[in-house]
Amino acid sequence: MSMSNLDIYMPILMLLLLGVLLVGITVVLISKVVRPHNPNPVKEQAYECGEDPVGSAWSLFNMRFYVTGLIFIIFDVESALMFPVVAVFKSMNEIGLGGLVLIELIIFITILVAGLAYCWRKGDLDWVKSYKMSEDSKEGTGIEND
Amino acid sequence: MTDTIVSYLAKFGPFKDLLEFLTESYGANGPTLFAFLIFLVGVIIIVTILSTIGGLGTYAERKISADMQLRMGPNRVGPYGILQFLADGVKMLMKEDIVPKDVDRLLFFIAPMLALTGVFGTLAVIPFSSGFTLTDLNVGVVYLIGISSLVGLAIFLGGYASNSKWSMLGGMRGASQIISYEIPIVLSILAVVLLSGGLSFGVITRAQGGWPHEWFIFHNPFTFIGFFVLFIGSLAETNRAPFDLPEAESELVSGYHTEFTGMRFAFFALAEYIEVFVVCGVTAALFLGGYQVPFNLGGDTIWGQLLQLGAFFSKTLALYYFVIVIRWTLPRLRVDQLMTMCWKYLIPIALFNLVGAGVWMWLFKGKSLFVLLFKSGTAAAGIH
Amino acid sequence: MFDLTLFFISAVLTVIGAIMVITTKDLMHACIYLLASFLGMAGLYLTLGADFVAAIQLLVYVGGVVILMVFAVMLTGGPHAQKQNKFGMIKTALMGNIRTYTIGGLTAVVVLLMMVKLYISIFKNYTAGELPNYLPTVERIGKSLITDHVLAFEISSVLLLGALIGAAIIARPRKNRIN
Repeated sequence: MSMSNLDIYMPILMLLLLGVLLVGITVVLISKVVRPHNPNPVKEQAYECGEDPVGSAWSLFNMRFYVTGLIFIIFDVESALMFPVVAVFKSMNEIGLGGLVLIELIIFITILVAGLAYCWRKGDLDWVKSYKMSEDSKEGTGIEND
Repeated sequence: MTDTIVSYLAKFGPFKDLLEFLTESYGANGPTLFAFLIFLVGVIIIVTILSTIGGLGTYAERKISADMQLRMGPNRVGPYGILQFLADGVKMLMKEDIVPKDVDRLLFFIAPMLALTGVFGTLAVIPFSSGFTLTDLNVGVVYLIGISSLVGLAIFLGGYASNSKWSMLGGMRGASQIISYEIPIVLSILAVVLLSGGLSFGVITRAQGGWPHEWFIFHNPFTFIGFFVLFIGSLAETNRAPFDLPEAESELVSGYHTEFTGMRFAFFALAEYIEVFVVCGVTAALFLGGYQVPFNLGGDTIWGQLLQLGAFFSKTLALYYFVIVIRWTLPRLRVDQLMTMCWKYLIPIALFNLVGAGVWMWLFKGKSLFVLLFKSGTAAAGIH
Repeated sequence: MFDLTLFFISAVLTVIGAIMVITTKDLMHACIYLLASFLGMAGLYLTLGADFVAAIQLLVYVGGVVILMVFAVMLTGGPHAQKQNKFGMIKTALMGNIRTYTIGGLTAVVVLLMMVKLYISIFKNYTAGELPNYLPTVERIGKSLITDHVLAFEISSVLLLGALIGAAIIARPRKNRIN
C-alpha cells in the first residue's frame, strides 16, 4: 500500500515543528530554570576587538556579496528549470528520443555558459575588486577589509 | 506511488491489525491516524538517533584529530571518553544565557531555530533503507536542497543579529559561501538524476547495485569527477574546513556565532554536525549505492532492512571519517580563493560533467563503463 | 484530515506572514516574515497537488530570493536607514501619501472585482467531490517541457541570460563613485 495522498508530507511538517519547538522550549523555558542570570552591563556589550570599519568603505565591499547572490539566483532558477527535463531523460532515452532531449539541454546550458563567461571576463566573479576602485575613493588605503 | 515507512510497516502483522482497528473506528480518517502515529514515533526515533550521532560526531572529531596529532583525545568521561558529548551538552545547558544589549532580539532567537529546523527538515527524505525512509518524496532531492538552504539563512541571521561587525562579516561570508556552493552541488546531483531517471532518493538508490562496480561513482568518468565536486561542495555547504572561514574569522572571534552562548550555540553546533551526517548520507545515496547490499541481500524482511541500514550507515560514516580527516589535514582557504574555486573551477567542471554524462547516456544507451568493458554483448542485458 | 490541517497551517502562515511584512517597522524582520510567507505558499502548493512546484518554491524562493533580499537590505544601509515621516514617527510600509493610497486603492478594487467574478462562477457550479488523486507531476512537466513547450524552455534560458547580464551591469561599481 503506497500512499498517494497528502499524508506523505506529514513527517516534514512534524520535523519542522519539532525543530521549532525544541529550540523554542529549550531556550525559553530551560534557560529560566536552570541557568544563572546575572546581567551586567559589561557582559552585555558586544565583543569589541579592533575598530569599526569606516562607514562608506563597508558599503563598497558589500557589492561583491550582492553580485554573488544575483548570479547565484540566475543559476538556481536555471537548475530548477533543468530538473524536470533531466528527470525524464532516462525514459526518453529508452524510447529513442534521448538525442532530442540532449540537444535541448545543451542549448539551454550553452546560453547560460555564455552568461557565465561574460561575467567572468568582466570581472564580476572576482572577489577582490581591482585596486583602481579603492584608490579613487578618498579614504580607501587599498588594504582589503577582509 | 510514494513509499513511506507507513506503507512498509503496514505489511506486517501487528501494524496491519492496528490499521484495521483504526479504520473501523474512525472511517476514512483511520489510515491518516495510523500514518500519524507511525510518523510520530519514527520522527522521534530518527531525531534522537541523529542527535546522538551529531553529538558523537563531536567526540569522534576530537578523538580522530587527537589520533592524527599523536595525543589522546577525551578519555575521562565514560569508557574511552565516549560520554564527552553528553557532558558538553549538560555544560552548555547550565551556562548563563547572555543576550548582548543591542541585538535584534527576534532574529537572535530565530537564528538557531532556523538552523536546527532546516537540518531536521532534511531528515524526512534521507534513504536509510528501503523501508525505513520516513517518506520517499517524488521530489526528494529538490526538497532536500531547498530545505537545507535555511541553514545558510540562519548563519546570516546569526551574524546579523549579533550586532557586531565581525559577526556580520562572518555571517555574510558564510551565507554567500553556502549559496555559491549550492550550484555545483545541484549540477552534480543533476548528473546523477540524469543517470537514474527520477528525483526521488529511492529511485536513485535502486538504479544502483550493491557491488562497487554498480555504483554511480564508477558508472562513467563524468560521474567520478562529479562525486568529488559534490564532496567538495558539501564540505563548503556545511562550513567544514578547509572552508570554515565564517567560523574562524581571524581565529580569535568565532565568526557568526560569537555572541551566542550556551544552548543557542549548542544548537548551531548540533545543526552543523547533523548536517555533515546528512550531507554524507546524501553523497552515499547518490554515488555510493546508498542502502544497496551486495548479493541483493536487502529485502522486505526485517533482516534485509537491517542489512540495508548497515550498508547505508557504514558508507555514510566512512565519508564522515574522511570529512573529519580532511579538516585536520588541509589549511584553510582564503575567502577569495574559496569563491574563485567555486565559480571558476567547480561550476565549469560540474556543467561539463552534466553534459558529458548526458552524452554518455545517449551514446552508450545508459550502460556503465564496467558493463561496456567486461560485459559487452548479450550479457549486458542484465545490468542497467 | 491531514490535507485540511496542512491547508490550515499553510494558509495561516502565509497570511500572517504577509500581514506582518507590511506592518513591521524593521526591514530585516520583514524579510523573515516574507520567508514564513514563502514557506506557507509551498505548503499551499502541496495541497493543490503541485509537489514539484512546492519543492522549487523552497529551492528558489526560500533558498535564494530571501537571502538575496537580506543581502540587499544590508547593502542599502539596512535597519539603520530608517526615515521618519513628517510627524516624527518611524515609517512603516503602511504609511504613505495620497499617491500611494490612490494607486493602492484602485489596485485593491480591481483585484477584488476580478476575484468576485472568478469565485461566483466557481461557487455556482460547485459540487463537493472526492479528493483528487495526488499524482506525481515531475514526469509530466518534464515531458511537456521537451515536447510541447520546448520553445518556452529555451526562451527562458535567454531570459535568464538577459537577467544575468543586466544584473551584473547594474551591480557593477562605477569608476567615478564618490562615497
